[in-house]
Amino acid sequence: MGPVVEVRGVTKWFGETTALDEVDLTVRGGDVHGLLGPNGAGKTTLLSALFGLVLPDEGTIRLFGRTRAQAGAGWLDGVGGFVETPRFYPYLSGRRNLAVLAGLDGGDAASLIDSALERAGLAGPAARQKVRGYSLGMRQRLGIAAAVIRRPRLLILDEPANGMDPAGIRDLRAALRRVAADGVSVILSSHDMAQVEEICDSATILSAGRVAAAGRLDALRAAAPDPVWRVRTSDDGRALSVATGLDGVKAAVGDGGGLVVHAAQGEMDSYVLALAAASVALRGLELDRTPLEALFFQLTDGAAKPVATTAEVTS
Amino acid sequence: MSLAAEPWPAYAGATSARTGGVAGALAVWRVELVKLSGKIVIRAIIALSVIGPFLVVGFLHLQSATPGDTPFGQWVHASGFAIPMTILGFGGQWILPALTGVVAGDIYSADDHLGTWKTILTRSRGRAELFAGKFLAAATFAVTALLVLTVTDLLAGLAAGRSPVVGLSGQLVPAGHATWLVAASYLSDLPPLLGFTALAVLLSVASRNSVVGIGGTVVIGVLFQIVTLANLPQWGQQALLSTPFMSWHGFWGAPAFYGPFLWSLLTCAAWFAACSAAAWLIFRRRTIEAAA
Repeated sequence: MGPVVEVRGVTKWFGETTALDEVDLTVRGGDVHGLLGPNGAGKTTLLSALFGLVLPDEGTIRLFGRTRAQAGAGWLDGVGGFVETPRFYPYLSGRRNLAVLAGLDGGDAASLIDSALERAGLAGPAARQKVRGYSLGMRQRLGIAAAVIRRPRLLILDEPANGMDPAGIRDLRAALRRVAADGVSVILSSHDMAQVEEICDSATILSAGRVAAAGRLDALRAAAPDPVWRVRTSDDGRALSVATGLDGVKAAVGDGGGLVVHAAQGEMDSYVLALAAASVALRGLELDRTPLEALFFQLTDGAAKPVATTAEVTS
Repeated sequence: MSLAAEPWPAYAGATSARTGGVAGALAVWRVELVKLSGKIVIRAIIALSVIGPFLVVGFLHLQSATPGDTPFGQWVHASGFAIPMTILGFGGQWILPALTGVVAGDIYSADDHLGTWKTILTRSRGRAELFAGKFLAAATFAVTALLVLTVTDLLAGLAAGRSPVVGLSGQLVPAGHATWLVAASYLSDLPPLLGFTALAVLLSVASRNSVVGIGGTVVIGVLFQIVTLANLPQWGQQALLSTPFMSWHGFWGAPAFYGPFLWSLLTCAAWFAACSAAAWLIFRRRTIEAAA
């Protein structure tokens, strides 16, 4: 089976601004694919192009092996989700909004409204409430309910956890893993690196409209710079000198006290043991940047200017 | 239940492919009518269209003077048939463009304002179906509003009196024939009304702004009225979209003449086609942005 999403050389200009610059993206069936990048990197433009909201100036987009021209009106069959905050008609209730969308979808979408509302935690009075009174989290939930009634086999979500409470976020993560296990492909745009690391199989990092890195998550981690740790000790000066004697460990005094240490997991273990041997007590140790975060910041720092090189990472 | 509690509904094959084209546009049309029915302003307009003519009859009864500067105005106390014709003569060129502008001037730009294009364009309907369905809904409202006004204005007139009415050539028109002429006069405003609907759609699509869509339609209608006062050549007068609102004058002559009405069909068809085509050309390749 071919890829579910295949983007090749997509370029989009808005006047003088290059929003997307020869972007490639491949998502396989059943994959949860993270789309990462700082603000203005082109994530929303790329998702909008997948939905056909933005028409590329160059390049091709295939969903389920078909271009938009080949698929015609059926281009988005089996595709659900939203770009940016889901928008609805404020003067209609949540249920009526879904009925409007089900009317556009046709098929049996209308019969799925009740279960979708219940699944999204919007059954009962919330379903009858006008959307103008919804919180951001409720709109996100209604957006997911609107996706559910499409029976998606490709789910495209742009920051879906925005405004959700912790229980909702946990629930969403579990749901995305579950739908992926059922064979649904997911493209998840997110600023939440931990969320991406937890639930994604692969990821693409965009920077200034270009693909800075793409591949399976384990391959990205392997190509990433050392993670960053924050270390607090009983004697930071001595801890610093211990670090200078170890290969693969780079330490410096942090802004708020303590040390900032760049080291892979194995080297960090050795450093902790060395601190103990040097009679330096370890009072705190936390992972400040995971490998993926470190890669992200390495690739996207100064994202306002074009990235000179593209890291191609394949599994 | 929670998002992850059970398997999500599985993909069950293409749906839009079976209902694309005309059926797809009709699906959008039905959805737009549901949305329109949820708007208080639309309900208020329909209610006012029903009640308004009877209020006008009551107001005229309280007045001893007559609106003599309007065709049929001098006969409002003599015949009930003069009342709907006075309303049509006085308000047709002003009220009808505004009436269709309220829906057609807003039906596209409201989705820009609310940011809902990205919601409805990510469903199973193409741009052509959405454009056609919305256009059809706007036209449906215009036709419905005109039909309601035709019936309620006529009923209000009949309630005021069923005496024969004096025609525009001074002839006496009996009640039975007058009833048909009133209905025909109102329905003759349908072509320019649909022309203004297309104009409002164009303004709504091009500006992405409901104030421009609605207000612009009214302002252009007024500008046409002002231009009419200028000493334009006949072809210039006939090319204006407001002129066909007066084509019913010939129905009430003795003998009746239909040349202006037939000419108005051409004028309205040209405006309708040009505005619709321009709106579609703008809409089909536009980029959808987030709401402001």
